[in-house]
Amino acid sequence: MSRLLGRRTLLALGVAALAAVPTFANPYVVFVGNQLMLYVILAVGLNILVGYAGQLAFANAAMFGIGAYGTGLLQVHFGVPYYAAAPAGALLAMLIGLAMAWPALRLSGLYLALATLAFAQFTLWVFLHWESVTFGAGGFKVPPPSFAPLPLPSNLGIYYLSLLAMAALVAIAWNVVRSRIGRAFVAIRDGEVAAQALGIDLFRYKAIAFGMSGLYAGIAGALHSALLNYVSPEGFDLFQMVLHKAMIVVGGLGSLAGSVVGATTLTLILEALREFKSTQEIAFGALLLVFVIFMPDGIVAALKQRLQGWEEPLRRVRGRPGAAAGAEARP
Amino acid sequence: MLGYLVLSGITTGALYALVALGVVIVFKATGTVNFAHGDLFMIGGFLAFTFHVLMGLPYLVALALAVAAGFGIGILTDRIAFRPLMRANLVSLVLATVGFSFILKGIARSVWGGKADLFAFPPLISPDPIFLGPLIIIPQQLVAIGGAALVMGAFAAFFRLTRIGKMMQATADNPKAATLVGIRTDRVYMYAFGVGAAVAASAAVLMAPLTLLYPDIGFVLFIKGFAAAVLGGLSSLPGAVVGGLVVGVVEALAGGYINSSFLEVSAFVVIMVVLVLRPTGLFGATAVRRV
Repeated sequence: MSRLLGRRTLLALGVAALAAVPTFANPYVVFVGNQLMLYVILAVGLNILVGYAGQLAFANAAMFGIGAYGTGLLQVHFGVPYYAAAPAGALLAMLIGLAMAWPALRLSGLYLALATLAFAQFTLWVFLHWESVTFGAGGFKVPPPSFAPLPLPSNLGIYYLSLLAMAALVAIAWNVVRSRIGRAFVAIRDGEVAAQALGIDLFRYKAIAFGMSGLYAGIAGALHSALLNYVSPEGFDLFQMVLHKAMIVVGGLGSLAGSVVGATTLTLILEALREFKSTQEIAFGALLLVFVIFMPDGIVAALKQRLQGWEEPLRRVRGRPGAAAGAEARP
Repeated sequence: MLGYLVLSGITTGALYALVALGVVIVFKATGTVNFAHGDLFMIGGFLAFTFHVLMGLPYLVALALAVAAGFGIGILTDRIAFRPLMRANLVSLVLATVGFSFILKGIARSVWGGKADLFAFPPLISPDPIFLGPLIIIPQQLVAIGGAALVMGAFAAFFRLTRIGKMMQATADNPKAATLVGIRTDRVYMYAFGVGAAVAASAAVLMAPLTLLYPDIGFVLFIKGFAAAVLGGLSSLPGAVVGGLVVGVVEALAGGYINSSFLEVSAFVVIMVVLVLRPTGLFGATAVRRV
């Protein structure tokens, strides 16, 4: 029984269900399903950085934007086909993520938060004001990618490409977090000095965490540009950042299944409240606040109690004051 | 040109300094940064707008009411987003205040208008510029600088002279020792949030006539105030003032000499460079790593 209801079975069922959606659902549902998959990729990438490695970074929406802009602009300015532009955009986001590991080595906690916030604002400003390249506030149109030899229209092609990417990226993340690398992340999260004393190379593992999360966000961005056929700065602002943060907190910090659960929950709420920006802000702010205070381990903590076989390795330990980066900033 | 830019830089810088003071006072007391601080500023501005423009109360009354309301919302922030998490780690503390910040922003948007609504706040005194040799001065700038100096002076006096201020200093220096001599540190945290928010609200009332009010003003202003605070070392009150002035003047000069669009972004570039080169800021003590 435990095997049947386990996390892996459920995730496999979820992938199968998503694969079947286009056969019966209308285009709107397909679109929402596609968006859901991108948010799963984003949430998994962010959770690796924040939930596992404990780095309080706020640049995920910017990385998402860099992936989307990189992919879109290569197509528009240089006529690069999508299948080459998308990996290039994702790699660009990964490289910028890797570069952020360098300041992150010297900064922790609040200082890292400020540096990444400033970086995110800077990125947004570049999208808005470097008009000769990024087309400014209005954004720009991206040609729909063609999946020529396959008998797929563009939107279904992107749908299945996203599904493939999501399944692969979740599987990779799953293997990474239970490997030596994942243990190193958690050791860094729970105490940098102690981790260093254990022989963990802080720079190397922070670089891996930032690079992975940049790559995930970049891939999501590359898919996003093709999903909308349109890229504009407002998709990558502070609201988007809070959305990603709320996903991993609601699902469960330091849990991959939690990233999936959180991304699903918040995508559905986002769609239900699509018309009302102010209500969205209140809802996501309140979700973030309520979960941090009353359910700091997120929805997966509740699932874990009810479903056997849901254990994940390296769950965060609760109730240890100053266990993470907080130890350094608190007097 | 230079004189004008420096003056307008000092004006905005003085207001950033007030925002930074609020960030520093909360940091000194609690060891965390209130990410909703900018939205407390924004709410303060909108409340003053409501009292002054919509209800027709005199400017000074609106100022006093907005500051008092800011103090109250600051205490609310402590109750809702800090007190339940006092023993949690930094990630939780920060995310809780980020959540609270978005709640405030959403409330402001639904009460005072949609995304593009900008509210003009009438100036306190005549808007005609004064020509002083080559210098063009907008009177409201002088009001803002003078008001900011007054608030800073009151703030310094509050810290040095009042009982609460001394209790705050004691708690910031050593929370355990403060508890031992009978200071209720949780009260001190509450007052720190309240006073920080009251200072932010006063900054909003001084700034509103110079800029426009809109619900999204808060977070960006918070990042700049936070940047100013870090520039000054994050735990130094004079440092916050200097940091605020530096950010304001750099912004004005970049906007004037390079390109007007650089005005918005130069603060972020400066803070990224400073953090990479000197992570503890210009006035910060050398960081002590706790194991």
